[in-house]
Amino acid sequence: MRFLGLAPGLAWGLLAGVAALVVLFYLLKPAPRRLRVASNLVWQRLLKERRRTPERWRWWLSLLLALTIALSIAVALTQPEVAVVSGKAQDVILVIDDSATMGAHLADGRTRLALAIERAEQMINQAGAGSRFLIADTMRQSGVPAFEAKEAALARLQHLAVVPAGRPRFPDVAHGPPPQADASQRRREVYLISDGVARFGVPDHVRFVSVLRPADNVGITAFEVRALPADARRYQAFVQITNASPGKKKAELTLTGVGAAPIKRSVQLDGGAAAGVVVDVSTFGEGPLRVSVSAEQDALALDDAAYAYLPSKSRVRLALVTPGNPALLQTLRLMPRVDVDVVPPARANEAGRYDAAIFDRLAPDRAPLVPALVIAPPSRAWLPHPGAALGETHLARWDSTHPLIEGVALRDVLIEHAQVRKPVATTGVPAFAAVAFGPHDEPLMLATREGRRLALIGFALEASNFAQQPSFPAFLANAVNWLTHEPRAQTQSIGPVSVPPNARVLDLEGKEVATRQIPEASVFDAPTPALYTAVTRDQRVRVSVNLLDPAITRINDGRHASEAAAAEAAAPRLSVDPWLLLLVAAALLLGLEWWTYNRRVTV
Amino acid sequence: MLSDAFLRKLELLTLLPRGRAHGQLRGMHRSRRVGTGMVFADYRPYTEGDDIRHVDWGIYLRLDRLILRLFEEEADLPIYLFLDASQSMDFGRPPKFEYGRNLAMALGYVGLLNHDRVNISAFADGLREMLPTRRGKNQAPQVFRFLNGLQPKGRTSVQSALRRYFSVPRTRGLVVLISDFLDPAGFEEAFAVLRRFRHDVVLLHVIAPDERNPELPEEVQLVDAEEGTTLEVELTPGLLAAYRETFARHCAEIESYCRRYGWGYAQAHTEVSFEDLVLKVLREEGVLR
Repeated sequence: MRFLGLAPGLAWGLLAGVAALVVLFYLLKPAPRRLRVASNLVWQRLLKERRRTPERWRWWLSLLLALTIALSIAVALTQPEVAVVSGKAQDVILVIDDSATMGAHLADGRTRLALAIERAEQMINQAGAGSRFLIADTMRQSGVPAFEAKEAALARLQHLAVVPAGRPRFPDVAHGPPPQADASQRRREVYLISDGVARFGVPDHVRFVSVLRPADNVGITAFEVRALPADARRYQAFVQITNASPGKKKAELTLTGVGAAPIKRSVQLDGGAAAGVVVDVSTFGEGPLRVSVSAEQDALALDDAAYAYLPSKSRVRLALVTPGNPALLQTLRLMPRVDVDVVPPARANEAGRYDAAIFDRLAPDRAPLVPALVIAPPSRAWLPHPGAALGETHLARWDSTHPLIEGVALRDVLIEHAQVRKPVATTGVPAFAAVAFGPHDEPLMLATREGRRLALIGFALEASNFAQQPSFPAFLANAVNWLTHEPRAQTQSIGPVSVPPNARVLDLEGKEVATRQIPEASVFDAPTPALYTAVTRDQRVRVSVNLLDPAITRINDGRHASEAAAAEAAAPRLSVDPWLLLLVAAALLLGLEWWTYNRRVTV
Repeated sequence: MLSDAFLRKLELLTLLPRGRAHGQLRGMHRSRRVGTGMVFADYRPYTEGDDIRHVDWGIYLRLDRLILRLFEEEADLPIYLFLDASQSMDFGRPPKFEYGRNLAMALGYVGLLNHDRVNISAFADGLREMLPTRRGKNQAPQVFRFLNGLQPKGRTSVQSALRRYFSVPRTRGLVVLISDFLDPAGFEEAFAVLRRFRHDVVLLHVIAPDERNPELPEEVQLVDAEEGTTLEVELTPGLLAAYRETFARHCAEIESYCRRYGWGYAQAHTEVSFEDLVLKVLREEGVLR
């Protein structure tokens, strides 16, 4: 038995003192008054008839009752912990899984999270008196949790909601091993209440309580829109549908776009099977594209829809002014929307008739009339003045938020020789800003900040391995899109979404979405699949937010709790504090003492 | 001591035996013997030697036969007064012994006035003191002196006292037993002695109010005046009620015994005026007339 109200030594001392005091009172009890009477005959007869308990027994019985009453009150003051009555007081850490799959609905309409909260409430109510509780969750809604009393813990549970996005993680606060059980230290128990679908590391000492209930679910696990290689003006949508239900399911697929009637497909799927569906979406015009799937008794709505942005079908005419660069030409020709014309250097002025131009190792005398990418140009007045020549260098730092470099890895780009280009603010000259630097902050890639879009690379492709980098096509695609003001498209998972800094974010209905600023980005929360548009001063970014996670769609791929842990967690216990029971017992014993005293059973 | 006024009232009273008197001397009580009394009893044929003064001459004239008229002979009444002089009688206000002694004086005085043979004995755990038979009013001072000389002491044993007293032949008479009957040996054995000798018996049960309705502290150690034994009692209203009930049952058992065998029984409550007891209670009970 442990004492929660007093230190063990003090508690035992109190009990011993009370017991000694009661015995002392009994021993010091004043002798009754002696009174001479004619005869005890009638009294003896009366007491004999009343089956009077022998005096000594009465004394002992009375002492026992008094001791029990006094000790009950004294023990109640020490707030004892009596495991068999109300369980042991312990520190209980309840980790609630609030990841996406916990939003799956059960047959009765509740979500798994609601069931998890109910189980947590049961465990709190059935925990030993004096226990403390720490409520944590795998999606870190609880902030920095701390141990708190039963009522506060129950209230905290009510604030939990399913967090569809983000990576679930076992909270750090529950990682610590349980302390050694000794008389003075509370035992710590850590429970994870989850459906076991989300995978994350769980320490061995954690007891798992499952809320997994098999349910039907059909969801979209992949969605992509691509131009046909043969015809860049035609687009196909690839949709993967997964049936996570135990049995066979019929799913209805609906694609909705701009400018044409929705396209519907019906798919029959075996239990646990996934199927890919390719749909020609060329009938839809540029704009949002939504795919949705519907099936009977679908438990999870989060994976029933996905969004994409169907790009413009117009082609970009690009002039490549170069003395000859097969690698560059080949890469440009592989770009679906780009029509490349190679313009000889002598006819460089003709580049003004194109949508954009790329000048390879040369530059016109005057700034081109169209947006242009200039690679290793000679010195020109409209270009930043060349600085020092560098040999054997590399790109050490770059602005990954700039549309030119976004999603492009430049870490492995090695340069044999380069020309530093220092942006100088001069009237009549486009204002350039460096976007990539050498090891000593030498500007090696630049782009105009406003006005006509011009980009400059300070080294020739032949003088570097840039053209051989896997990211080179992406760089070129970024460059073409940036030069032609093509809106960028991003695909993100639901949850916090990063967009360029200071961007205004609009949803499909044109309503502005609240954002928060972090270094080098703006962030907004996308709790469900949707399409957003982030608008900055010089660009627009289409952000399609989707779930597209087979691990979440397969809501039945969880694990069940061990029977022992579940049984122990649900072990019924009295929810009454032992000290309260002791006080009630003391009151009852007082009543018994009064009753026995009045009937001469006790002295 | 009894006042002169009270003694004068007693002169009008007579002790009443339940049956006929068996006294050997002439007295004032009807007896079973037929002799020269005043009350006609029966006829019988005349035989030689009979007193011809008792021949009914009227019958002789009518029937020509000699018929003798018989009369009940009036005899005196042997009265055996037993006074409990044990320690338990020294209890109450006034003490039960004083009350019982006055009672014995009054009854003895009445007996002397009626020329009955009055025998007075004081007993405790045996016969303590005895006053030889007294007869006639002039013996009253001796009786009073004897009774006044008694002091309560010793245990109670009615049985041993009666056994010893009646171990010698005694004329059947009226036994008056004045006691509180708090005899550890019980009363039935003692009373059986009286039943054996077929005496008329009157029990006068002296009761102090504190015995019937005690007022005791909550926790008390009761010390038996005779035995010296102690008894720790923690009193509650319930226990007191039970005691009153037990005491009443104790009295009722004695009374019931008396009624069963045709004995007289009267309770002498010491809080009741002594004159009222003698002049009213005992007369109502048929002990005195």
